[in-house]
Amino acid sequence: MSKVFVTGFGAISAIGNSALEARSSLINGTSGIKKARFFKSNYVNSLLFGEIPLNDEDFINLTNSPKNSGLTRTSLIALAAFQQAITSANLSEEALSSFTTGFISASTVGGMCYTDKLYEDANLQGEASEFVGSYEASDHTFQIANRYTIKGYTDTINTACSSSANAILLGARLIQSGRLERVIVGGADSLAKYTVNGFNALMILSDEACAPFSTDRKGLNLGEAGAYLVLENEACANKKKKYAEVIGFGNSNDAFHPSATSPDAVGPVLAMQKALQVAGLTAGQINYINAHGTGTINNDETESTAFATVFENNPPPYNSTKSYTGHTLAASGALEAIFSVLSMENNELYPSLNCQDPINTFPFQPIQTYCEQQPIHYIMSNSFGFGGNCTSLIFSKCM
Amino acid sequence: MTTNELTLEFKNHLITYLNLLDISIDDIKDDEPLFGGDLGLDSIDSVELIVLLDREYGIKIKNPADGRQILVDVNTIVAYIEENRTK
Amino acid sequence: MYVIDQQAISAQKTHDLSFEKGDYAIYSAATLPIVEPAYAEFIPLNLLRRMGKAVKMGIAAALPIVNRNQKVDGIIIGTANGGLENCIDFLNQIVAYDEGVLTPTNFVQSTPNALAGQLALMTKNTGYNSTHVNGSLSFENALVDAKLFFEATTNKTSLLVGSVEEISSYNYHIDLLSGRYKKEIISNDQLIQSNTEGSICGEGASFFLLSNSPEHAVAEIVDTTQIIHPSTADLTVLMNAFFEKNQLSMDAIDLILLGKNGDNRLDFWYDDFHQIFPATPAINFKQLTGDYRTISGFATYLGVQILNGKINGAHPAFNTEFPTNCNHILIYNHFDGIRHGFILIKKGTR
Repeated sequence: MSKVFVTGFGAISAIGNSALEARSSLINGTSGIKKARFFKSNYVNSLLFGEIPLNDEDFINLTNSPKNSGLTRTSLIALAAFQQAITSANLSEEALSSFTTGFISASTVGGMCYTDKLYEDANLQGEASEFVGSYEASDHTFQIANRYTIKGYTDTINTACSSSANAILLGARLIQSGRLERVIVGGADSLAKYTVNGFNALMILSDEACAPFSTDRKGLNLGEAGAYLVLENEACANKKKKYAEVIGFGNSNDAFHPSATSPDAVGPVLAMQKALQVAGLTAGQINYINAHGTGTINNDETESTAFATVFENNPPPYNSTKSYTGHTLAASGALEAIFSVLSMENNELYPSLNCQDPINTFPFQPIQTYCEQQPIHYIMSNSFGFGGNCTSLIFSKCM
Repeated sequence: MTTNELTLEFKNHLITYLNLLDISIDDIKDDEPLFGGDLGLDSIDSVELIVLLDREYGIKIKNPADGRQILVDVNTIVAYIEENRTK
Repeated sequence: MYVIDQQAISAQKTHDLSFEKGDYAIYSAATLPIVEPAYAEFIPLNLLRRMGKAVKMGIAAALPIVNRNQKVDGIIIGTANGGLENCIDFLNQIVAYDEGVLTPTNFVQSTPNALAGQLALMTKNTGYNSTHVNGSLSFENALVDAKLFFEATTNKTSLLVGSVEEISSYNYHIDLLSGRYKKEIISNDQLIQSNTEGSICGEGASFFLLSNSPEHAVAEIVDTTQIIHPSTADLTVLMNAFFEKNQLSMDAIDLILLGKNGDNRLDFWYDDFHQIFPATPAINFKQLTGDYRTISGFATYLGVQILNGKINGAHPAFNTEFPTNCNHILIYNHFDGIRHGFILIKKGTR
C-alpha cells in the first residue's frame, strides 16, 4: 500500500489570496470576518461574512479566464486555488493529463451561487443566461478538468460541511490502492443568497464575529474559500518537498438529526476514533486539533463532548480557524487541513479568536495566544456536516 | 376573533406549515406539549413555527431561545398571539 | 465486489417486479415520472411530511433492501442534483419574501446528502456515509468509493449503494433551455428511433446491497471507469486498457447496454462504441425511463436482472434477440457526449 504525501497546496479565503498570506493572518490573529463588499444580499448590513476581497472580474483576471464563459464565482474561486496547488507541487501539463492523475472536488452551493440568475432560468423568465449550463454542483469540477485536460478519475462530493474532508479521504484511498499516482483534492464554495438564507432560516447565523467554543457564542458566520491539496504516491513525491503525509481518516454518520449533532457526539467520536485507528495512533499522540468549531451552540457543545470522550478530558491544543475565515462549507475541510499542515510545518499554534470566556463545563479551552517552537508531529482536522456526516483526518510530519 | 376561533385557525396553520400528515384539528389538544409529545415535533419545527407566527400574525421572534418559552403548547402560543399580533 | 440484493423505482413497475413479468408502461408525455410506491408503508408519517421526492423515492428503493437483509456497514449515494424541487421551493421563497423570514425545511431537504443522512438516521447506521454529486458519473463514482471501502477491510462487510434523481420544474426548465429535451411529445417506446434533437426527461432510484463476499451474490460488479471529453479513438484505448486491467477478453462480453436517448446529435457515440465490440449484441434502455443524470444505476439494475434470467430479449420493452445465458454485461452511458461512464458486471455465484 503506497504512502500518501502532500506535495503542494493552494488556498484562497477571507484571510489571504494564498496559503502564505493566510499564514501571516493566522500568526497575527487577524480575522477576515467583516462587512461584505461584493456579496449582494439584504443581509450585508446586518450580518458579517468571511468574503474573499476580490470581485468576480478580479477573479477572471487572476485566473486568466475568458469573460462571459459561464464561469460562476464558485468555479473562479476553485480555479484560483487549484492553480496555486498545481504550481506549488510543480505539476507538468503531462502529469495533469495522465490517466493516473485524478481530481476530486467538493462543493455545496456549486453553480447555484448566482441565486437570482438561477431563479430566472429555473422559472423560464426570458432567455437562457450564460450560466444555464453551470448550475450543477459538479460544474466547477468539469470546468477545471476541461481546462487542464484531466483525463483520469474525476469526482465531486457533497456531504455538506465535511465535503472536502471526504475528498481528501477518497483521494488518499485511491493512491493507497494504486489506482492513482497523484490526485488533486479539495473544494470550493462561494457566498450565495441560497446558503445565507438557508442558514439564517435555521437561526444559526451570528450577527457578530463568531466565537467558537465561547460561552456567549451566538452562531456561525458564512465565508467563502477555495482550497486544494496535491496528494502523490511515494514514487511521484520522491525528490519533491513533502509537506505532510496523510496517515489517518475516519468517516461516520451521527444518525441523529438532519441538521443538528447528537448530545453524546456519536458521529464525531466515531470519526475521530476511526481516524486514530487507521493512523495507528493513540489519542495522546495527537499534538494539535483543528476543530470543526463553527460557533453554533450545538456544534461546539457536541465537539467538546467528543474531545472529552476521545481524549479523556485532556485534548491537545485546539482552535477553530473558522474564527478567521467564517464557515466556508465544502471548502472548509481542505482549507483547515492546509492550515493544520502550515501549523505543523512551522511548529506553531494559532490562537482561536473571540473566546475570552470558554465553555466552562469542560476542563479545557482552545488556544488563546500564538505559540512558536511547538513540537507538532501529528495533527487532526475535524469536519462535521448536516445529514450527520462526520469526517476526521490525521496528517503526520515528514522528516 | 374569539380565542376559540383563533385556536382553530392556529391549528389549521400548524397542520399546513408543518405538513402534518394524517393529523386533524381534533387530534391536537390545546394543553398537549408540542415538543417531545405525540406530535413528534423537533427543532426544525420550532423554526417553522416562528415563520408561521411572522407570516400569519406579524410576530417576530429573533432568538430561538425566546421561542422555547412561547412554543410550549397551543394554549401558550394562542395567548402569545392574542397579546402580540400586529396583523 | 458483489451485488447481494437490489431494488429499483422507475417509470416502469420495477418496484413490484411487474415489469420483469412483461408489463411495459408506455406514456406520451414530456416527462416520465416514476410509478410511486405507497411511501407510507416504508416511511413513518412524521418523517414523510418533510421529505422531497428524491429522498422519498430513494428511501422507498433502499429500505426494502435493508429490511430483507441484516447488516449494512455504510451508505454511499450518487446523485447529480439531489432534492431539486425543494431547492427551487426555497429559491422561490428567497425571491417571494425578499430574503425575509423563510422556512428552513426546503433548505435542509434540498442538500444532496439529505438522502444518505436520512437513511443513516432511519436505519441507525453510524458507518461510512458519502454522497457523490458528480453529474452523470455520480453512480460510477459511488461504485469506486464502495470498491475502495471493501479493499480497506478484510472483514465481511456490506454497503448500501444507490443512485437517485428527481424530475422537478427546476431541472426540466434548465435542461429545456439547454436543448436537452424534445420539443415534440412522443411516446417512450418511440424514443430511440425518434431521430430528433433532445430526449425525454426521466427520474428514478436504484439501490444495491453490495458486499465483499460472494456468498448469495446475484452478480458481481467487476469494475467501472470513466473519461471526459474523449475522442472515439480514446474510447478504444480506454476499453483495451480496461479489459487488460481486468484480465478479460473483450469477446467475453455477452451483451452491451447502451444509453441511447434518442437525441440525433449525440447517439452516434453509441454506434461508434458498438464498433469496438462488433460481434456483441447490444440493447437500449432509456425507452423505459427517459433520460436522467444517474441512470447508469438503473442500467446496472437491468443488467443484473438480465444476468439472472429475470428479463430476456422477448420482453416487449426490448423485443430483440440476445443470449439467454449472459455471463458478462458491459454498460455504457454518456452525457452530452462529454462525460462517459462504463460499468462491467458479471453473473453471480448464487
